[in-house]
Amino acid sequence: MKDAVLVIGAGVAGMTAAIELADSNIETVLIDRLPTAGGNALDLYKAFPTDDCFYCFEGSRSRPGIRKCFYRSALIDQPNLHLRTDTEVAEISGSPGSFTVKLTVGPRYVDSRKCILCGLCLELSNAFEQISPQCQPQAVIYRPDLLDDGAKKAESDCPTKAINLNAEPTEETVNITDIVLATGYHEMQPINVDEYSYGKHPNIITQLELAKILDPNGESGGALLRPSDGAQVKNMMMIQCVGSRDENYYAYCSKICCVFALKHAKIVSSERNGIGITVVYMDMRTYDRHERYYRETRDSGVRFLRGRLHLIDPREDGTLDVTVYDSLLNKYLRHNIDLLVLSSALEPPESNDGIIQLLDVQMRSGFIGPSDPFSENEVVAGDHLYVCGSATGPTEVPESVTQARAVVSKILQGRRS
Amino acid sequence: MSEKSDVILCTCGKQLQLDYEILTDRIGKIELAKTVTILDTVCQDDDLEQIAKMIEKNEGRLVIAACTNQKIQPRIDQFLYSKGLDPTRIQYVNIREHSAWVHDDLTEASEKSVAMTRGALARSSTSNTIPTESKDVAGHVTVIGGGIAGIESAISLSGLGYNVTLIEIADELGGHLAKLPMVAPTGKSGTEVLAARLAALKSDSITILTRTKVKYVEGELGRFVVHLVTDAAEEDELHTSAVVLATGFKEFKPTMIDEYQYGKNPDVLTQLELSEMLTEDSLKRPSDGGEVKSVIMVQCVGSRSEDYKRDCSKLCCTFAIDNSLEILKRVPDAQIRIVYMDIRVPFENELIYAESREKGVDYIRGRISMVWSQGNETRVKLYDSLLDQYFELSSDLLVLSCAVLPPDGITELSETLGYAIEDDGHIKELYGKLRRNETRRRGVLAVGAVTRPQFAYEAVTDAQAAALVIHNELQGGRIEKIARGAVLVADDCVGCSLCAQQCPRGVPLMVEETDLENQDDEQKLVFKATIDTLNCHACGVCQSLCPSGATQLNFLTNEQLWAEIDAVLEGAGSDYPITLCFYCEECSVSTIDIVGTRKMKYPASTRLIPVPCSGRVSIVDILKAFESGASAVMLAACETDRCHIAGTGNEIAQVQVDVAQEILNAIGWRGERVGMYRMFSAEPERFTEAINEMVKRAKDFGPTPVHLGTAGKWMEVKE
Repeated sequence: MKDAVLVIGAGVAGMTAAIELADSNIETVLIDRLPTAGGNALDLYKAFPTDDCFYCFEGSRSRPGIRKCFYRSALIDQPNLHLRTDTEVAEISGSPGSFTVKLTVGPRYVDSRKCILCGLCLELSNAFEQISPQCQPQAVIYRPDLLDDGAKKAESDCPTKAINLNAEPTEETVNITDIVLATGYHEMQPINVDEYSYGKHPNIITQLELAKILDPNGESGGALLRPSDGAQVKNMMMIQCVGSRDENYYAYCSKICCVFALKHAKIVSSERNGIGITVVYMDMRTYDRHERYYRETRDSGVRFLRGRLHLIDPREDGTLDVTVYDSLLNKYLRHNIDLLVLSSALEPPESNDGIIQLLDVQMRSGFIGPSDPFSENEVVAGDHLYVCGSATGPTEVPESVTQARAVVSKILQGRRS
Repeated sequence: MSEKSDVILCTCGKQLQLDYEILTDRIGKIELAKTVTILDTVCQDDDLEQIAKMIEKNEGRLVIAACTNQKIQPRIDQFLYSKGLDPTRIQYVNIREHSAWVHDDLTEASEKSVAMTRGALARSSTSNTIPTESKDVAGHVTVIGGGIAGIESAISLSGLGYNVTLIEIADELGGHLAKLPMVAPTGKSGTEVLAARLAALKSDSITILTRTKVKYVEGELGRFVVHLVTDAAEEDELHTSAVVLATGFKEFKPTMIDEYQYGKNPDVLTQLELSEMLTEDSLKRPSDGGEVKSVIMVQCVGSRSEDYKRDCSKLCCTFAIDNSLEILKRVPDAQIRIVYMDIRVPFENELIYAESREKGVDYIRGRISMVWSQGNETRVKLYDSLLDQYFELSSDLLVLSCAVLPPDGITELSETLGYAIEDDGHIKELYGKLRRNETRRRGVLAVGAVTRPQFAYEAVTDAQAAALVIHNELQGGRIEKIARGAVLVADDCVGCSLCAQQCPRGVPLMVEETDLENQDDEQKLVFKATIDTLNCHACGVCQSLCPSGATQLNFLTNEQLWAEIDAVLEGAGSDYPITLCFYCEECSVSTIDIVGTRKMKYPASTRLIPVPCSGRVSIVDILKAFESGASAVMLAACETDRCHIAGTGNEIAQVQVDVAQEILNAIGWRGERVGMYRMFSAEPERFTEAINEMVKRAKDFGPTPVHLGTAGKWMEVKE
């Protein structure tokens, strides 16, 4: 590998950057700490602003077209692109333009180039799973804690000998000219925010958890059921700005939660009939054309209540009595609901701290900011350092993609000059 | 001419539940099959070598029956190209996701696999090799609009090695940004943000034309001609390979909204007019030059309104807060009130909102109901929705945060540049999630506020990204790629222009030709279509619409598809009614693959034929299927408005299906024998539900006139 670029994080932004780089004949190392690429997007079902499934992704030169499904995205068979899952950065040394990066690569139990997804190991042992039909790389995942005789038999019977149960973690050192930070966001788990009782009652969930329930490929086949007992949800409430716009947690606005919430409200109101929805908000921030979601959900009967949550009182039948202060009526109102969905803040991932220290980049509310904030160059985080996607702060999918392309544009320009 | 092909059957590591004895025996007997070879894992190195040998032996005519080609084809292609071999003739059959994994009955699944392999053999028998071709184009790009987006485009393109001409209608570059006293989120003024960029424009590779307007544009990606006119009415033309539109936005001027008195009371102004005042450091009451001590700002003027612009203009909240802070810098004791519906400040702009509150800006949730003049005072009546009360106030300035609208001239330019326009008047992006800077027309990009309201940093990112997209297209001036797409035979073209009108990406051009042979009869002018295959995205819409067969995909000609239809339906009759499904190789192939991966079951009396886009399927193709014995025909396509390959192919397909239904009804068949269904890979049951419905119809409707032998025959009327 010569003059390679390292992309940290294989979510929407990182994958786009990596594919564009590889297409531009640049050796690219794409790493992710999880066993599959896709990032947060893999857990989502429908995407805004297009309301289509979340699994489509960039075409590439070898797979031309506007977009391709995740499972046929070019992460494995793309020349120049070296995907390392279960991998983290251990050390960065050298200087901008010639970094030396030490990677900790998790055990390669399954060789993803050899796995043909024939299903034999999945039949023999529970230690193997295919995370999603759309997972990338298209290979099974092995969980060593579930090792059994079936797994050993799978190892010996695997038709392509793709399995090695004794694999060990390895270290890999790569020489890198440019680093692209695409570390994404993390949805805040509001466990410590007492007033929301999150983690104390099963019927109080976050928006990302709701996305998984609504996914037709999920456990309930997309039916909106109460986590506590699987009963049909009849009334639900969403609370906006949980941990965002809040001096005690994150002072910033998480930007995409309003649209995210309304996208779900729209799916529920238009495709899961008969469920009452109330959205409790401070300011409804459906920027630009996203205003459509606000119009459509209002028209479809979703109730909007400007105010704040006051009190949650669980009942024995699994429902929740929720008291909300309505700032327009200046009154406290009590609702009985089955499901409370918290639009929780999007926070920087913990792994950012290490990288920010290693690379001396600018912090921006915990996310990674531009090195020269006055340049309006969002994607330039330093000398030979770039940032894209939600690593810069909460971003929508299209913005992440555009930023990733901007990064590649900048790297190519840098190489010419 | 029908050539024979070799067949490879993959067993997926001996895990596929198919009867390979039946398969080998039956496929071996097909006339077009030369040899049948069973391999265990065609995607692995040993078998790839085997494929390479077979390709060499038989001029590339090979049918591979294995798992989904969406997974193995890129690996096989790459392997063969690395050996200097040509994979373009290989045809794939999916016997895993389409047969073994979805049908319980071993014999039925095997029968289906045989039939579909027979189809692929037919397709293979007249397949073409598809060469890699190259062409040289000018390394020149034209950027229209000299605001921040256009300036950054020029710099980025120049940085990627292109010569750029930057065209601006005004005297100076800089656009709206030059007028801003403060640009969120940096806190710098517009001129400060622009300064370094204006310096960077002084490059040999960038030509700047101010006071110049684009009249119209001809040509296509790689060879556009831009016709220019200067403000001195001088005309010029510019040869260029791609065009970037960066014409920005226009601020709504609410003269027609009586309640605000804009245009009547000089102390009522727009937010941008206030910005200009602040930038020029001339903050005073326009009516009498008096001091500004109190300001009322009104949000959402024209935005979020059914009468003017339905959507939110995104920037105005931040814009108002920035200007408030600028006023407070100059007049620290000024009283500023902002009347709003929702304050919309993304991410860290929230911090500026908080700062403004701390500094005493007063936020009132409500609406303005009336503005009038009383002496030299401007009086405002407003409704506070939190207190549910009306107030009357005086104010030195009333500042309207007006909607961000598309700029003038977009519609006129679209007529020759061929991009599509959104309902709200902005330029429509090719695909809102992943292809925001591309337009319907290849080689025409749009960046910045011309596509939607954007902050300066977003316009900059847009411009940088679009430069990469152009670079990917132009490849530095030498475009080299596999010429996979539509090929037009000019002699067969009847000049109807359907292809040029309906191509989802505006590739075919109508060219005026003087037909020399007919010169005698009054020097006829003939229009004929031309298609540059290297610009084609290979959807096949032109082919399905072409009345004379002049334009055809070189990898799926009419002859190939018709032969395949006939072959997969061999022996189809009314005892075992067959449903034929054409599926697009975008959303539909994914949905059907996931049906397979999840091992969802559906009847085996189904045959599947891949097409690049549903728009490739014509009425004739549908009728051919019935002629060959199908009992029902189904089209699986992308969702409405979400055609993946090019944008509108699926809607063309819908028209073909609608007309096919009408024809069938008219000739006394049942129109419902044809069905069009929209696929969505997150919802695989869409496919199983659709195909179950079509299989049910095939059974319920009974034999077709083709099965009965009555189709196309005059029936003798008995007395």
